[in-house]
This record gives sequence, structure tokens and C-alpha cells, in this order.
Amino acid sequence: MNGQNIQKVKEVEELLLDVGTLLMSNGASTGRVRITVNRIAEALGYDVELLITSRSLMLTVTEENGSAYTSSVRRTPPHGVNFRIVSGISRLSWRVIEDKLTVEQINQDINRLTALPYYPRLVVLSLVALAGTSFCRLFGGVGWELLITFAATFFGLFIRQEALKMRFNPYLAVVFASFGASMIAGLSVKLGIGDAPEHALATSVLFLIPGVPLINSLTDLIDGNTLNRIVRGVNGFIIAFAIALGLMFAMQIYGI
Amino acid sequence: MVIDILMILEKGIWFGFAALGFAVLFNVPQRTLLIVWIMGALGGMTKIILMQCTIEIVIATFAGASLVGILSVFAAHNKHTPPLVFSIPAVIPMIPGAFAYKMMLGLIKLSGAEPSGTYYQTLSETTSNGLKTIFILLALAVGVAIPLLISRKETVKRIKHKSDSI
Repeated sequence: MNGQNIQKVKEVEELLLDVGTLLMSNGASTGRVRITVNRIAEALGYDVELLITSRSLMLTVTEENGSAYTSSVRRTPPHGVNFRIVSGISRLSWRVIEDKLTVEQINQDINRLTALPYYPRLVVLSLVALAGTSFCRLFGGVGWELLITFAATFFGLFIRQEALKMRFNPYLAVVFASFGASMIAGLSVKLGIGDAPEHALATSVLFLIPGVPLINSLTDLIDGNTLNRIVRGVNGFIIAFAIALGLMFAMQIYGI
Repeated sequence: MVIDILMILEKGIWFGFAALGFAVLFNVPQRTLLIVWIMGALGGMTKIILMQCTIEIVIATFAGASLVGILSVFAAHNKHTPPLVFSIPAVIPMIPGAFAYKMMLGLIKLSGAEPSGTYYQTLSETTSNGLKTIFILLALAVGVAIPLLISRKETVKRIKHKSDSI
């Protein structure tokens, strides 16, 4: 075990921790984190053992034909969902095998991926509001209800983004957003705009539904990662509860 | 019948937009946006068509979600992107928002009411809506996951590599 080898193992370990925590905090399932980290380690000539939990990642890296090894734990930052990073890292892991990338090159590519832009804020707000409108239409809404849902969703998502920027608790941000959206939609119920304004109220909070935690929760369950499955499921459940709480406040205020 | 087809197509378009909104919210790569739209529309239309054939909503949702799951495997081959990037935004429009909302209203009513009069009717309605919500959610998640499990041992891409080498 000489110093140079240990230095190298440590570099690889840092890299794998980056990859794993990025995937985990951006909405990949536990199985995918394991597969991707293993794939990159294998391509670089190292063995890796992982302990993946929802808030931290622990791994031991060993040289395949040597004795140098190292272990480390890193906290997984609680993040929003960003599939661009999940997708990018997945592609990167294949390029590591096919193009034989070095640790340095992989690090550069990860830096590039994390710097990739989000969609412009206005585009996100408008398209998510359009999604809310689509929900309303699918539930049988017409005319005014569609417009109100659009406005409510737009405003609700805006509140959520601002609340997250101000570093409020993420669940609280959902309560605020749900409350804001249903205050707008509830106004139309109170004033009796349109034929069936309840459609607007029911669909104005749907943009908050915890789709990624719920579906990843099931994926983890089927993969056998039962503990992570429960954590994700509970997380999704609390978000659903937060939506209901915001909606309930608004309905109590309007007395609907 | 013509009107029905038009109705289904129209709903398909809305399903697509709902999927697109979530895709943007999850910041999927730009090259996948159109496919997410199409997959959302196809999944939703499958569900609507089956429901018109008087098939129960849970099974119809399961079929729609399975279609999305199968398509996401093919799309993952083509666009070199993990299947979940396509499948999660595409199934979200099928989430039973209306049932969940009605269940919530029922629960609020029940928590404040005395057990007499309309209480029992509300209770049975709330139970029915709640069960539908839970089972539709399960059908969605399992429907998406099963095609993935069948198609791969570890990853979608390895299948392709194997078939290339044979």
C-alpha cells in the first residue's frame, strides 16, 4: 500500500460520492444509483460497496488488483428533481466504459452537467400552468374554470419557488403554494364564476403532487430496497398531506 | 361514434400537455420533450378508450401506465436517457386528482360531523373515493415498473449490447 495508490483511490472515491449523491438528490431510484456507481467504478478498475440511504451515501472503494482501499460517508443534499442531471450522468457512465475516460475528464463532465441551465422561469411557470389547465379540462372543466386554473397554478408555483428561495422548509413551501393556489381558485367558487368552479379548485393544486417520490417508492420496493421505499413513501405522503392542509385552510377561510 | 373519437383525441392532447408541464418542472433534457408529450397522450388515450369499453378505472389506468412503461423502454434506447425520465412525467396526468380531492373533502366533513344523519353516506362515499385513489396510484406505479423489470436485468442499454454482439 503506497501513498500514490491511496491518493488515486481517494480521487475515485470523491468522484463516486459526487455521482451517487447527485443522482440520489435529483430523483433517481436507489437501484439506478447503485448500478451507475458500480458501472463507473468497474470501468475505472475499482470495486465498490455501497450503503444508500435517502439522506446520506456511504461507500468503500477497493483496488481491483491491489490492496489500497478507503471508506467515506457523504450527506445527500435535499434537492428538487432534476432529470437533466440524472440523464446526463447515465450517459456519462456509458462514455466512461466506451471512451475510457479518466477521473479528471469525468470530473470535468460532472461540473459541466451541474452547470447546465434550467428552463427559463417564465417557460416553467407557463407550461406547468398549462398542465394544470389540462387537468381541469380532463376533469370536465370549461371556459372560465380553465382560465382560473391557469392563473391559480401559475401563482401557486411562483409562491413555491419563492418560498424555496427563502429557504423555508420544503413541506411548508408546499403548504404555502397549495394555500395560494386554492385561495385564487376558491374565489371563483365563492363568487360562483362559471358552471362548475369546483373543478378549478380541485385541479389548481395538482401541480404539487409528489409523483417522483411515489413512483420511485414503488420502484425501490420492487427492487428490494425496502427501507428507502418506506422513506420515499412517507415523504410523498407528507407532501400530499401538506397539499391537503393548504387547501383546507383556504376552504375554511371561504367557508366552502 | 365520430364524436367519441374526437373527444378521445382532444383528451389525448390535454393529457400530453399535462405530461409536458411536469416534464419541464422536472427539467428533463430538451430532446425528450416531444416524446414525453406523445407518451403522455397515448397513455391517457388508452385509459379513456378502455374506460369507454366499460372497463374499470383501476385496470384502465394500469393498462395506460403499462403502455407508457413499454414505450419508455424503447425511448430510452433511442435517446440514451434512463426510462424514468420519460415515464414519470408521462403517467402523472393519470393521477386520480378528482378522487383524491373528493376523499379529502369527505375526511374534512367527517372530522367535524357527529355520527348521525348524512354521516354514514359521507363515510361510504369517502371510503369509496379513498380506495379508488389508492388503487389507481398503485396501478400507475406498478404499471410503469413492470415493463422495466421484464425488459432488463440491470439496464436497458445492456440488452442492446448483447443483441448487437449476437
